[in-house]
Amino acid sequence: MSKLGVFDVSVRYGKVPALTDVTLHLEEGERVFISGPNGAGKSSLLGAISGAVATSHGRIEMDGDLLTGRSPEAIARLGLSMVPEGREIFGSLSVDENLRVGTGLRRDRNAVEGDIAEIYDAFPILGERRNASAGALSGGQQQMLAIGRALMTNPKLMMVDEPSLGLAPKIVDQVYDTLVQLQEDRGLTLLIVEQSSTRAARVGGRMILLRSGSVVGDGNAADFAETDLLSEAYFGKSNQEVAQ
Amino acid sequence: MSSAVQLFFDAASLGGIYAMAALGIALIFGVMNLVNFAHGEYIAFCVFALIVPSTEAVAVMFLGKAPAILLIPILLAIGGAAAVASEYVVFRHMRKATPVAMMISSFALGFIIQNALLAVYGGRPKAISLWPDLNTPIALAGAQLPLLQLIVILTTLVVVCALALLLKKTRLGLEMRAAAENFTMARLLGVRANVVITGAFALSGALAAAVALIMATQTGVADVRMGGQIMLVAFIATVIGGLGSLPGAVAAGFLIGAASILLQGFLPLEVRPFRDAFLYTLVIICLLARPQGLFVPSSAKPRI
Repeated sequence: MSKLGVFDVSVRYGKVPALTDVTLHLEEGERVFISGPNGAGKSSLLGAISGAVATSHGRIEMDGDLLTGRSPEAIARLGLSMVPEGREIFGSLSVDENLRVGTGLRRDRNAVEGDIAEIYDAFPILGERRNASAGALSGGQQQMLAIGRALMTNPKLMMVDEPSLGLAPKIVDQVYDTLVQLQEDRGLTLLIVEQSSTRAARVGGRMILLRSGSVVGDGNAADFAETDLLSEAYFGKSNQEVAQ
Repeated sequence: MSSAVQLFFDAASLGGIYAMAALGIALIFGVMNLVNFAHGEYIAFCVFALIVPSTEAVAVMFLGKAPAILLIPILLAIGGAAAVASEYVVFRHMRKATPVAMMISSFALGFIIQNALLAVYGGRPKAISLWPDLNTPIALAGAQLPLLQLIVILTTLVVVCALALLLKKTRLGLEMRAAAENFTMARLLGVRANVVITGAFALSGALAAAVALIMATQTGVADVRMGGQIMLVAFIATVIGGLGSLPGAVAAGFLIGAASILLQGFLPLEVRPFRDAFLYTLVIICLLARPQGLFVPSSAKPRI
């Protein structure tokens, strides 16, 4: 049984299809990148898995539990956590409060304080500014906070939507170093939306390529940088042929 | 001097009532973008819960007979239960509806409550006498004040502080603040939508009950239409304060109360009957000057 199974999932907004019969699987502890051009359905896929976006067809399972049709909070309680695009931190709450929002679902309440201390160890700047309002943090710090906040739910599977969006390359390196380190420490399964295939190849892992709402490629991220599939996904086949 | 003190207490007590009503509306708006126009009817409902159901002109006290120490918690619970019940029956089924559709439903719900009260209690306003001793004037700082005014001001302060503490220090409060800022994100972190929304309605209904107790004591009248006027002012206060901002709602409630009392006190006699026209002119000026709300910090820009 795979960690996450997406079977023939379709999502449509009104009559506009965003995802069409997408099937993919993640194994326990895997790191998988979702890549593809704008409008390929990357965020819709994450939305469908997290329960924030309704599916029109197909089913999604995590550890054999059916996620389809459940509310986002019920899915979060099954062990799925999300670092959304644009971070979506609670700007009017303090850094510390942001970390605590997601702890309500935990049964091991007495472990919460220790975990918060761990987050502050991993991200010292968050510890220093724990009482500051989260809206006053820089973009990179907000990204760290969004990751810390997602970790505080004690997830089994974490989804990260475009962690590099709007961040300086140096900060992006830091964010990925942190994600990889966290994954090694905790045995997390990671699903990351990343537009840049070179970035994905550098970090390493499996890459699934989406285009126009369908899976058009699935393989080692490092191999993708070499193949035509990527430019095909981005520019379409005809373009590729013209180029040849 | 004494008249200045008098004005201050008049303004603070009227503003306190508006502030509490506005808080009740802002709490629900914050978590589900619903302007609940039935809020005024929760207030009327709680006032009528004090008396025996009958269409007779003379009101016979029912719950109102209970000693204050019992009456207050019971009525707060009734208000909370009425609001929670209306969420369960009506608004829960409209979670995906547009804010306008929800607002219209709240109008409809308000009319249903009002007509139910009409059917049971009749249309004539009834004189009720709840804690009449509180209207006895006492001397304070050279002014003659009904004790009730002091109690209203103290009650408002206690309610606002208690609510602030609840929002700041409890798990439910943290979840409500997070949900008010970004409901979907809060749910993605496991915050249960139903718990937060039910909590907001319960608090809102309890605030309506507190307003009902004060109005019943102050005016001595139970009227099925009494919710409408206060609802209007409270709604305006939440808009002027910045929709969804709780401190804004409180501040704007006090501001409208103060403006209303000052206009009453200082307008020339011949235009005084038209006080509300002046009051609402000020409201228009406020909205023109700061459409986003008077008390919304400039840092609260829409997030990207």
